[in-house]
Amino acid sequence: MDFFFAQLSGFGGAFYDLASDPVTYIYLISSVFLGIVFGALPGLTATLAVTILTGFFGNKIPLDYALIALLGAYVGAIYGGSYPTILLNIPGTAASAATAMDGYPLAKQGRGGEALGLTTTASFIGTLIGTFALLVFVWLLLMVSKNIASPEKALLALFGILLSGTLMSEDLVIKGWIAGLIGLAMAMVGLDPLLSEPRYTFGWSYLLSGFQVVPVLMGAFAIPQIIEGLRTMDVGKMVQLEGRILPNLKTIRKHMPTIARSGVIGTGVGALPGVGEDVAGWVSYGVGKSVSPDGKNFGKGSIEGLLCSETANNACIGGALIPLLVLGIPGSPPAAALMGAFTINNIIPGPTIHPEIILRVVAIMVMASFTMFIMGLFTARIFIKILRIPQTVFLPIVMVLTTIGSFSVGGGINDLYLMLGVGFVAFFMNMLRYPIAPLVIGVILGGLFDETFRRSLLIADGDLSVFISRPGAAILLTLNILLIMSQLPVIRCVFARLLRKVA
Amino acid sequence: MDNFDDIAVLRTRDFWAALVLIIVSGFFLWRTSYIPLFGGNRAGVSGASWYNSAAIVPLGVFGAMFVLAIILLVIAVRAGGAKTALTSVGIGWNKFEAIRFTTIGITIGFYIAGLVPRVDFILSSGLLITALIYGFHKGEPRRMIIAAIAVFIPATYALIMHLPQSQWSKPHDDDWLTLAVWIVLSVIAWRGPRDRVARAVPVIAITAPLVLVCAMAFGFRQNVPNRGGLIFSQIEYQYYVNIRPIWRN
Repeated sequence: MDFFFAQLSGFGGAFYDLASDPVTYIYLISSVFLGIVFGALPGLTATLAVTILTGFFGNKIPLDYALIALLGAYVGAIYGGSYPTILLNIPGTAASAATAMDGYPLAKQGRGGEALGLTTTASFIGTLIGTFALLVFVWLLLMVSKNIASPEKALLALFGILLSGTLMSEDLVIKGWIAGLIGLAMAMVGLDPLLSEPRYTFGWSYLLSGFQVVPVLMGAFAIPQIIEGLRTMDVGKMVQLEGRILPNLKTIRKHMPTIARSGVIGTGVGALPGVGEDVAGWVSYGVGKSVSPDGKNFGKGSIEGLLCSETANNACIGGALIPLLVLGIPGSPPAAALMGAFTINNIIPGPTIHPEIILRVVAIMVMASFTMFIMGLFTARIFIKILRIPQTVFLPIVMVLTTIGSFSVGGGINDLYLMLGVGFVAFFMNMLRYPIAPLVIGVILGGLFDETFRRSLLIADGDLSVFISRPGAAILLTLNILLIMSQLPVIRCVFARLLRKVA
Repeated sequence: MDNFDDIAVLRTRDFWAALVLIIVSGFFLWRTSYIPLFGGNRAGVSGASWYNSAAIVPLGVFGAMFVLAIILLVIAVRAGGAKTALTSVGIGWNKFEAIRFTTIGITIGFYIAGLVPRVDFILSSGLLITALIYGFHKGEPRRMIIAAIAVFIPATYALIMHLPQSQWSKPHDDDWLTLAVWIVLSVIAWRGPRDRVARAVPVIAITAPLVLVCAMAFGFRQNVPNRGGLIFSQIEYQYYVNIRPIWRN
């Protein structure tokens, strides 16, 4: 109990520091607003919002303000995706795809205002649930993580890449793994971390320092979006918004168990390395459909269905920050962009992170969720107007934004070439249904994997048993093997046959 | 969910992708052989053991990629991807999409490689925004080609006439050419149907890069592309000589 109160007291201090600084509000309001705009515009994503703002704010302002800008945009964008989902039946971000199942039917029934009010409240509560989990579990995990050494870190990084590849694949799972391997391969470029041996530099001095994270993120997330989005698209017939956008407290109270369950599911899915808000939304929706008495009405305009997905996708944010802050492994693609911001500020997330930063992150999350809630209720009509802007108008501006953002982060023109190259590769990967998230996770974790894997072997004098002699490493190795084996057709066949027998 | 035809097209593309992956991973496995694996000797200093070699992880990564690419190839061939590999239907060839992608590729590629380093950022970005909105808003191939040509001409000129980095800031002939092409393209866009978007294009094309570059240079005090460009050099001069002293004094 003392531990819990100590956390609350630390959080209170961090919250007071931020709340008493007037500049905080400038960054908070503008970043949450920008985030909601990015989320509301179909074709722009939460990852893109955080990535672009990393280019602008990442290392140019004090870390506190940079974190406010990035986390504010993250929270805002995940919530903002619900606007076009409910009013146009076009998910603003992948995270709100499940929201479309019930949000649009509700709007067609003339309950669009009510749906948006509930979405705003559910997103707010979901963010707070995720943030609370972050505040509590990050410390417990930090205590555990102090005991993990190089073998565990290497296996954990590998597990993150494999899991992200497995869960984010739309088509074949091996495509997710190949994407992760491409990311790992990109991380191998430059001087190696232990012996400073140049690898794959082809005599180009720029490559000696390896691929920079921000241009890779910009290329992977922005360029394919721009290429794909530059087409004539009917903005769609927007459902007339009826009713005021207000939180229906009676309905919220009635559905509190659903909201709590979805919040826990969202946080849990978010805490899985490399798995994003879209998966959280769908998992929560699926669970809700099977356990709720209203399950048969899911997809026909069910309030409970709407709350399931919207609470979970926002709760996922806090969950995604847990592995990022504790282990240095991003829990979702936007968290990968956040990791890029930490990296360019010379902060290494993981067991050695300064506890003050974690408390600040929690305080910012709480402030961002309140800002989102207030903006969602009082400025929703502005965001609805923004929905009418065609993609072909805002995507060229996004191109200019990414160009100047990528240029100013570090390497100048060479970073732009890198961004362009990665962008075209990512576009073709998208076309062939390869997920991009494992690639980015691979680029970010590649260096960590390389260094810790070789350090483990170096300490053990080349003895491979170092990966099974430690309990933590043995568990992680087993998880890695199980994850790979679970995708083998033979194993899947045997497992399916066993299940059939049991049934 | 995907229908049967979509899966067939996807497997044909997977067939080609698997071949590319096999070649690429094979190439990088060969390049990895340049990195000492078994205790190489560099400048008289004995290298590390195999388990500490800089080649060990890349070998694993490209080896795994090679194996997975072969598995993908087998899956694609079994699904009939090889049979339709050379047919336009199998690849999913679409003339309109090909024009769209090629023109976007030319526009963005030449903007980054030719214009951004050599031409004033406001001019080059203004031209890019005008070209992309004009070319792709209506979805007409003729407009897409005109937009791509509009970026291609000044970018190629800048690349040919001012290739070395020493010539990127000055002289400004490429800046003037870009400005001329931008004006011509804006006039062409203006002569078409004047809907809300067409009316907004010039305003967006001027305002967006101007605000961005000024915010970056004077707000965040960061480096911006081509500081010596035709317009930005003037803005910078006026800012430091006439505007900044107002609050500095």
